[in-house]
Amino acid sequence: MRILVVGAGKVGATLAEHLVQEQHDVTVIDSDEDVLEDCQDMMDIMCINGNGANAQTLIDAGVDKVDVLIAATAGDEVNMLCCLIGKRLGARYAIARIRDPQYNESLTLLQQELGIDMVINPERATALEISHLLRFPFASNIESFAKGRVEMVEFRAQPGDSVVGVPLSVLTGRHSHLPRVLYAAVERDGQVTIPSGDFIIRPGDRVFVTGDTVTVTSFFDALGKNKLRVKNVMILGGGRISYYLAKMIVPTGIHVTMVEINPTKAEKLSEELPHVTVLCGDGTNMELLEQEGVMSTDALVCLTDRDEENLMTGLFAAHQKVPKVIVKNNHLNYTDIISEMGLDSMVSPKQITSANILRYVRARARTQGTRVEKLYRVLNGKAEALEFDVRAGEKWLGIPLKNLVMRKNTLVAVIVRRGKVIVPFGNDTIEAGDSVVFMACESGIHDINQIIQGTNIHA
Amino acid sequence: MNIALVLRLLSVILLVESASMVPSAIIAAFHRDGDLVPLLASIGIILAVALPIYLLVKPKDRSLRAREGFVVVALSWILMSVFGALPFVFGRFLPNYVDALFEAVSGFTTTGATVLTDFTNMPHGLVFWRSFTHWVGGMGVLVLTLALLPKLSDRTSHLVRAESPGPSLSKIVPKMGDSAKILYLMYTVLTVAEFMILMLCGLNPYDAAIHAMGTAGTGGFSNYGDSVAHFHSVSVDITMTVFMVLFGINFAIYYFLINRSWHDLKANEEIRWYLGLVFGAMLLLTVLLLPYYHTFSTSLRYASFQVASIISTSGFATADFDLWPVSAKMVLFVLLFIGSCAGSTAGGMKIIRVALMLKEGKREIHRTFQPRKVQIVRFDGKGIDESMLHSIAVFSFVYVALVLFGSFLIALEGKYDLITNFTAALTCVSNVGPGFHFVGPSGNFAGYGPFAKIVCSFLMLAGRLELYPLLLLFHPAIWRKT
Repeated sequence: MRILVVGAGKVGATLAEHLVQEQHDVTVIDSDEDVLEDCQDMMDIMCINGNGANAQTLIDAGVDKVDVLIAATAGDEVNMLCCLIGKRLGARYAIARIRDPQYNESLTLLQQELGIDMVINPERATALEISHLLRFPFASNIESFAKGRVEMVEFRAQPGDSVVGVPLSVLTGRHSHLPRVLYAAVERDGQVTIPSGDFIIRPGDRVFVTGDTVTVTSFFDALGKNKLRVKNVMILGGGRISYYLAKMIVPTGIHVTMVEINPTKAEKLSEELPHVTVLCGDGTNMELLEQEGVMSTDALVCLTDRDEENLMTGLFAAHQKVPKVIVKNNHLNYTDIISEMGLDSMVSPKQITSANILRYVRARARTQGTRVEKLYRVLNGKAEALEFDVRAGEKWLGIPLKNLVMRKNTLVAVIVRRGKVIVPFGNDTIEAGDSVVFMACESGIHDINQIIQGTNIHA
Repeated sequence: MNIALVLRLLSVILLVESASMVPSAIIAAFHRDGDLVPLLASIGIILAVALPIYLLVKPKDRSLRAREGFVVVALSWILMSVFGALPFVFGRFLPNYVDALFEAVSGFTTTGATVLTDFTNMPHGLVFWRSFTHWVGGMGVLVLTLALLPKLSDRTSHLVRAESPGPSLSKIVPKMGDSAKILYLMYTVLTVAEFMILMLCGLNPYDAAIHAMGTAGTGGFSNYGDSVAHFHSVSVDITMTVFMVLFGINFAIYYFLINRSWHDLKANEEIRWYLGLVFGAMLLLTVLLLPYYHTFSTSLRYASFQVASIISTSGFATADFDLWPVSAKMVLFVLLFIGSCAGSTAGGMKIIRVALMLKEGKREIHRTFQPRKVQIVRFDGKGIDESMLHSIAVFSFVYVALVLFGSFLIALEGKYDLITNFTAALTCVSNVGPGFHFVGPSGNFAGYGPFAKIVCSFLMLAGRLELYPLLLLFHPAIWRKT
């Protein structure tokens, strides 16, 4: 596909790099010539110097033939204007990065009126990712589908877990004591399989389970994994991510303590977030942390502006045996070193943002038949989760799943019908208007009929 | 220095070279002049050298940095010439290896300077190969390799940057591999068009192919001693004049035309300078030659052909311009420096550099009487970065310095006069072909000794790769481990 990225900053450059790797034709617009020169040297892309909100620059970049326009400059307004002009000039899809919380409220309206197909808020997306990590501290990876209603959680099976050593058909059967979740994929020795009913999980396997938010939570409760449930969180830094994160986790009953160095900012936060304890002070000051009881919190989230401070404070907390430490880091160069030092939960807004956009772009790249709504790469791309919106007229509608002929190594992971999540088993059916998530061990599927190949009822 | 990656890239380029010898071998098989075996033997030798390297060396790190890019480009051009000379030696066409190397370098760099003196009984396959090197060298072997194998390395921009002429790298589409494919497609279409028109003008297919390839690469090898004058045909002269001018144009212009990007077309300033210079020089030369040729039309015919031939750095001749009045010769002498557009197949300093230096000169003069005025040098309607102007100024100096130093080395042999030696060095660096006096259109480089021929070969390569890649090879730091 032809993709135009406006703004070669952190997100823009990361995106361009991934998009080139996936064989798209990428053009980047930026107003800084030096940045562009670096991009040109590092990647096989076309670079255009200019203002991305200027119609002439967009025309020069061939916006009329572009499939996806991604506006990722530092300014929200520039991004909106860029998408607005770009769409008018013929771009098929437009994605804008809009990060100001004030615009966040009127987002749907903006999207409709300006014709922006996707709005990505890096801070919000990062906050969402952190909230997942806090809700399932034992999980190594959490994806959410169907507008956040469905979750897929990855965890490593340990000896003694009640899922180990029992065939899956028994685990999901009527007499099982576990809530009914779907075992979507298992990775063993680097091999990914989509498990069938007689599959037996062994210790050390990386297991993906899906289900609606409540069921997944109760599943892990029943498994005894949620003993480490986070009840107290300390957040360092009172930026936008912290704000969104507090808004997300406070309603789930987690107590939040936030440390912000700037008095005016701290005051404002305290006003906006009534259930949060806001402290005014230097979050990197060890004495302050100890005084405010960092040792007794269940989790510490380091979200200050400086990566180095986040890392150092995070290391200190890990050393003090804080059960869960999450660190924001935008310069991913030292990932390996850091995880060796004992910090395994690291979030990077630029990576999260570009991953979100990539999902959208990948799905659009396959949009020929029934539309792939979103495409998630899991397990380093060894498996994919594809979300489809089912249209009327498919001949297998209303037929129980057990009677459908499915493509090898695929699985119906979840069905969402009118906002209700169904974890599907043999007797469930797919109806028009449903959102369906499939798991597949291969890539390249773009049509739902490639997965459901027919029925074995001869009517 | 990532030696493994450099070796692998070099082996791939040699494989492409061996493949590019196949058409000549087919011609040789068809004509049976006894040059099939030399060509096949050369292909065999190249395969014997390159295939083991290609199969055995698997670089772990595939990212190409600027340093490797320059080294690969410089070494690949040297190696191509070294191996490309083999058929000439094996075929006893040019039995002396230094002569063969000179001819091969002159071919690949699209210079068109020759050491051949006897143009009778030439083997068809070898002469075809000699001209085919023009065609491949014109657009660039690395560009061809990228068009065929786009996944060669992770960062290919350094390769193309070092090979493609002009002060800045401009891609026509986002992916380098696709860019290379489009360039070669347009190049092939234009070459075939010229080939057909030359056939319509009455040339036999072989002559038409030789001259079409010579024009396309802006090389200038002919299979006749008296070059294009041999045909005594106005239509051939006109066709070649037009195509020489066309091949001196930046190929991005053709892409704009195909895509009807009038805006980009209008913004391009270099093409206006180029066409202005071409037509201005043609007119001036026509007037200057009026006393010599008497009629306006004859004067225009020879003047326009020679202007097109020199400015496009082809070096074909329809007249012995060494016999022209000195004022006319001076026009051609100046054109020897300039060359054509960046992004074309031509050599020389390139119009864009000359134009920018003129603008910079004007600004410097202005600065003396209005020192506080903020002045920006514009090109294509955009302000040009000071660092770019600086590097162009340095390039121009190094260019002239290289010509001077080269003519000094050539003169060390103690042969000929000042004009001959100086224009020999100049015509080599500019990749034109003929100079004046003994290296003029009726002379050649055969009279020089082996030392001067090697110096000339080096100058031609340096000129084709725009100086730095080749000069860089002499810098010790480039060979140090990182």
